[in-house]
Amino acid sequence: MKLSMKQTARRIIVVAGLLAGAASLALAHHSYSAFDMVELVTVTGTVKKLDWTNPHTWIWLDVVNEKGVAQTWGIEGMSPNYLARRGWSRTTLKPGEKISITLHPLKSGENGGTWVDAKRPNGETLKMGGAITEP
Amino acid sequence: MPWGFLEVLESVRRPMNTTRQIRFMLLAAAVSCATVAVGQKVAPKAPTAQDWTAVAKLPDFTGVWEAGLGGGAGRAGGAPAATAGANGAATNGPAAPPAGRAAAPARAAGGGARASGPSLTPAYAAKAQEQAKALAATTRPEDNLTANCLPPGLPGIMGQPYPMEFLLTPGQVTIVIEAYNQIRHIYTDGRPLPEDPDPTFYGTSVGHWEGETLAAETVGFAQVPRGITFPYSDKMKIVERFHLTAPDSMTIETTIVDPEALTAPYAMGSRTLVRHRSWTIAEYICEENNRNSVDEQGKSKINLANPNASAK
Repeated sequence: MKLSMKQTARRIIVVAGLLAGAASLALAHHSYSAFDMVELVTVTGTVKKLDWTNPHTWIWLDVVNEKGVAQTWGIEGMSPNYLARRGWSRTTLKPGEKISITLHPLKSGENGGTWVDAKRPNGETLKMGGAITEP
Repeated sequence: MPWGFLEVLESVRRPMNTTRQIRFMLLAAAVSCATVAVGQKVAPKAPTAQDWTAVAKLPDFTGVWEAGLGGGAGRAGGAPAATAGANGAATNGPAAPPAGRAAAPARAAGGGARASGPSLTPAYAAKAQEQAKALAATTRPEDNLTANCLPPGLPGIMGQPYPMEFLLTPGQVTIVIEAYNQIRHIYTDGRPLPEDPDPTFYGTSVGHWEGETLAAETVGFAQVPRGITFPYSDKMKIVERFHLTAPDSMTIETTIVDPEALTAPYAMGSRTLVRHRSWTIAEYICEENNRNSVDEQGKSKINLANPNASAK
């Protein structure tokens, strides 16, 4: 498992489209003030567990950093209520599977952030703000 | 021995001897008398088959409805003179807060200076200015109490990006709100609005049908975050008009009336909900795994401790 971390500050405008759905939704419960909503970080690791819980899902990802030290990242996602209507289930991410997650990191510098996008090893992207799958 | 509520519960669980049976019956009689006494006020009656037939003839509000992201395309417009930052929202987020987002009450209303905003009375314009000044003198709150799982009051609760289910029964419209697992009752049995209601998050609602439109009026509001960004009085009334604009489309128009705070009714605009026939309301226990919080200084935090805290 190798850490691939791109810390690229981009203009909000670039990611605005990507975030439009996600941000406004989660705003119902809390603001994004704890996160750096400009910076994007991508962490690659192994899923430790998915908390399929309200008010947010939490993805816990085991990541090995540049120094070879294993760290657990906590990534906040949409609620299970929201995701279940958009093609997700509690087994969409399974413990042990590899995934790269792009997130807005916590300003505190802790190993955590809010989900922006993700990619599975087979190239499949995993979004949270997708279209409604149940009529 | 006092015959308390717990004892009543206990008596349900274990067999009663004769004495206990008599005491239980006496208590039951006392309780039913009390119910009648209270009941005389609102005179509820058991619904008849005719009442249910009348419900069946009402517009079909049944099912689960959602405004969609950010309160939906039809989100209430005309936000008062408050910006994302002014109502306690994230100041660095890419999106404006949804209309229904709960804001700390009474911030930076600007005295109705904007054409689209509420028109405040001089006294409340002064109040709004004082509050804006007080806010400017402190660090701007990074979040509001919804981060701690406190639900927003009306009208904010109606603008959450989660669905609502409408239940029509004789004399009542019940709205089951998925966000924060909340519920509203709109009494349509002809009772008047209460004269001196206890102030609450959602107030006390009565409604009536004007043709195909459900017109509801609500009074009795506590000073809690409710998505109203100007100071309001205890005389505030929220008027909502619900009507179907297409088979699976419902519009809710919300107007705020406040003789002390507003010089004219403030129309918040309309919100459009879409019906999803296959949906059911899901559980939303905010305290289940809430890692967000905001402290008394308005500082927001995320708690990453103990990833194993959640059993799910």
